[in-house]
Amino acid sequence: MDHRTRDAGGAGRRQFLMAMAAVGAALTPAALWAQVKTGTDAPAAKALAPSQRALLDRVADLTIPDSDTPGALAVGVPAFVTLALAHGLEGAGAPVPAARFTGGAGPADATVLDWLMFELDLKAGGAFLAAAPAVQLQALTALDGAAYAPGGQASPWRLLKGLIVTGYYTSEAGASQELQYELVPGHWDPDVPVGPHGRAWSNDWTAVDFG
Amino acid sequence: MSTEFDAIVVGSGITGGWAAKELTEKGLKVLMVERGRMIEHGGGYVTETLAPWEMPFRGEGDAALYARDFAVQSKNRHFTEFTQNHFVNDRDNPYSVAEGTEFNWWRGYQLGGRSLTWGRQSYRMSDYDFGANKKDGHGSDWPIRYADLAPWYDHVERFIGVSGQAEGVASLPDGVYQPPMALNVLEQYTKGIIERRWPERRLTIGRTANLTREKEGRSACQYRSICARGCSYGAYFSTQSSTLPAAQKTGNLTLVTDTVVERVDYDARTRRATGVSVLNVKTGERRRHTARIVFLNAGAFNTNHLLLRSRSDAFPMGLGNSSGQLGTHIMDHATTVGAVALFDRFQDRTTYGNRPTGIVIPRFRNLDRQEGDFLRGYSFQGGALRSTWTRAKREAGVGTDFKAAMRGPGGWRMVLVSFAESLPRPTNRLTLDPVKTDAVGAPLLKIDFTHGENERKALADAGREASAMLTAAGGKVVLSLDRPGVGGSAIHEMGGAMMGDDPRASVTNRWNQLHDVPNVFVSDGAAMASSACQNPSLTYMALTARACDAAVRLLREAKI
Repeated sequence: MDHRTRDAGGAGRRQFLMAMAAVGAALTPAALWAQVKTGTDAPAAKALAPSQRALLDRVADLTIPDSDTPGALAVGVPAFVTLALAHGLEGAGAPVPAARFTGGAGPADATVLDWLMFELDLKAGGAFLAAAPAVQLQALTALDGAAYAPGGQASPWRLLKGLIVTGYYTSEAGASQELQYELVPGHWDPDVPVGPHGRAWSNDWTAVDFG
Repeated sequence: MSTEFDAIVVGSGITGGWAAKELTEKGLKVLMVERGRMIEHGGGYVTETLAPWEMPFRGEGDAALYARDFAVQSKNRHFTEFTQNHFVNDRDNPYSVAEGTEFNWWRGYQLGGRSLTWGRQSYRMSDYDFGANKKDGHGSDWPIRYADLAPWYDHVERFIGVSGQAEGVASLPDGVYQPPMALNVLEQYTKGIIERRWPERRLTIGRTANLTREKEGRSACQYRSICARGCSYGAYFSTQSSTLPAAQKTGNLTLVTDTVVERVDYDARTRRATGVSVLNVKTGERRRHTARIVFLNAGAFNTNHLLLRSRSDAFPMGLGNSSGQLGTHIMDHATTVGAVALFDRFQDRTTYGNRPTGIVIPRFRNLDRQEGDFLRGYSFQGGALRSTWTRAKREAGVGTDFKAAMRGPGGWRMVLVSFAESLPRPTNRLTLDPVKTDAVGAPLLKIDFTHGENERKALADAGREASAMLTAAGGKVVLSLDRPGVGGSAIHEMGGAMMGDDPRASVTNRWNQLHDVPNVFVSDGAAMASSACQNPSLTYMALTARACDAAVRLLREAKI
């Protein structure tokens, strides 16, 4: 299935979700699935559909926004996550089991982005991408909170967030502006004060591995 | 009989480089044969200065490629996108394991071998170790004691450069050291607590083959801690930085790469090896090289493999295997995470630079009296650090506050990894696979290895003690494990051609000669008769230097 077709499904779902929201209907997993299945259940294609790209852009931006340094969207984290998904980094290639979906039903071969779109739409009470920024942040915060609460270990969000975080802090700005990067420290000091604006070292490889 | 060379050295890793250096410096014409590709010092370290954002997969590597081609190698902590070119392709270099067992065999087929990627920890064995087999009856009694090897440890440490602190600990003899790297603030504090509470224990900086002082054209460490990419400063010991230039300086070395030794050739009439048969893996050309002596430094398991493959009418079970012991009593170290603890102390303190070594707590169990329900002992390696950005993967939060919270250094944690001695057992062994072959039809090496009950008991004790020590220092233990990892996990695989005085019960003698074929020397990890619990490479180097000295003496006396 090509991108255009996939996106048509995504657009159809957005329209459905907006219609649901407009009539004030409670969004249930079953209702959402009924619509999703008519549109976007493409087998996992490597390139992302525009709607998935939009989702990834938005979620990366919400997770690590611009501040006095660039955020995840600005430094191109979505491209890294897309590459990571295509190559299965951190096990990202595996389909998300149906049981991980709220309500316990999901399509065969669901990708983590299929899952994310579904869950965020549910949490936003409508099309996540069309929701107000505050609603989006609230939805993502709720999703994140559940993933890091007891019992949340298997949440696909942990995997995605891990990729976003990795993409960000290994980018030039994330590694060397948000944090500090020094290829050749030149000496070792075993005990120095942490300054009031102290930044962690992105190239402390032992801490990267074991911290 | 005239030969093409005086000596052939098989392998260019940690011990191959040493054999080449020692033999060429003593005036021998030496051929060193490396199966892998050339890697030039400096220019060959292609990823050395790259930043994560300059790598296609940000240093994480291509998981799809790894699953296909590096299924075993990629499980190694030191295997990253930066270092993958220093590890073998598993698909091209298969081995087999006995049914129901697992073994992670980590290898680097290139000039310098694993000297490029090794952990650099450099420890002496003590007489507790050399006497262990005799004391409890496992394995073959070492034919040497600490006094035999001590001058050779001196010789090796002086040349490679080891930084460390002399401590006077009987189980971990002191050596010739450059100034130590300092303990960090939490390690220093923890040392004080542990040594007050347990006066027989010692926490010291890891003795490491990283220079703290410039030495013979090699720079002092720059505290990058990216050693396994290759270091153009030459600040850690590798073949390229250290032994190879010394050997080349003599004008006596011939080096060939991309050339695998397929067998050691043997003349039944003279009862001597005549040289080696090699295959050029690039051209497919086969040929022979002749020499008066052959040093096998292919890496412990590959040296066994080569001997097992070198079958003849005189040695139908493999060269030098009249005893039937070849391939038996292989070892690793049983290793796991003894304890990880979080600390509230020193939140206003941190470190600068990346120190390329951790701490060590030498063996304190079962030295002069038996304690507990296991034989021999274990030691700890690890260290304290402040977390960095990777903690953001496991902490809740998104948005501006989350980003701000991840900016500073994370909390302090301290890790103690347990390394328990692996008892030499005849049932842990290497054989030729009876069925499976490699791309050129040679039988695969088959590994049959499991850790035993003694290792499990030692690691259980280690887990309790690691937790007790970190707790005493005010840490909150969040993880403590007591089951050993898969065989090979310590990357200290060794044995199979164990030294001993009895030719019926061992494969090599006190000078690392095959009992059966005195002009063949095995001086890599294959010759180990017991594993001790410390990192073994320094001992391999000392044994190699000592064996080279003996070989040249025996040649001059016309005894081989």
